[in-house]
Amino acid sequence: MSIGDLGLMSALKTRMQWHQARQRVLAENVANADTPSFKAKDLKQPELPVTGDRFAGRARAPAVSLAVTSTGHLAGRGGQGGFGSVDKPNFEVTPSGNAVDLEEQMTKSAENQLDYQTVATLYQQSLGLLRTALGRK
Amino acid sequence: MTMEFMQSLKIAASGLKVQSGRMRVIAENIANADSTARAPGQDPYRRKVPTFVSKFDRELGAATVQMGRVERDRSDFKMRHEPGHPAADANGYVKYPNVESLIESVDMREAQRSYEANLNIVSATRRMISRTLDILKA
Repeated sequence: MSIGDLGLMSALKTRMQWHQARQRVLAENVANADTPSFKAKDLKQPELPVTGDRFAGRARAPAVSLAVTSTGHLAGRGGQGGFGSVDKPNFEVTPSGNAVDLEEQMTKSAENQLDYQTVATLYQQSLGLLRTALGRK
Repeated sequence: MTMEFMQSLKIAASGLKVQSGRMRVIAENIANADSTARAPGQDPYRRKVPTFVSKFDRELGAATVQMGRVERDRSDFKMRHEPGHPAADANGYVKYPNVESLIESVDMREAQRSYEANLNIVSATRRMISRTLDILKA
């Protein structure tokens, strides 16, 4: 049994991966803040089951991936399940068709960073919990 | 899984690069605001306009930003009455570049703001990376 089989740990892991992916999406938005006809994107909340006993296995929906039938084939990106993205309609669109609100992106980035720190701390605490169970200090 | 934080950093870096390229074009425009032609009938400096293109980077799997072609501003030149100027026409008018310093400085502010936003993403991502490394230290 690996650490990932523990429901709590796998849920925290999914959450951390989600924050990583979100940071990437936010970086994309900010880099394209002056590109004509670029629309800001965001990620959907990850689907974490509420009941504690069925965390493992259901944390991620199975994703479609490319079949690898020969040694020369590349596996393709995002094979092991990605997070859905949402295009939120933005009411602030410039004449060039750009819809990125820098202030909104900055608050989202700060929020993402704080949430990530929270989850990382929780993960660390859970590791401490396991250590206590093993009888070490 | 490749580390998505590194991707975030690279995307933000593409934004930084584009904004500094834009600053370079703006600096060129401001520096040449008074560059007239040397002989009558010739055109003075024409204002340059930077363009941005969103490009899907296959290696990163994300939309980075790139400088497109630097276009020329097609608006009319400013005419000034200076009969003694070497580039003055028969009526004593000289063509001056179509550069408005007010527009350039506003553009520069915008570039600065976008640059700072990209820097912000870089520092936020860096803090998230170092927090991840902290898990190892416990």
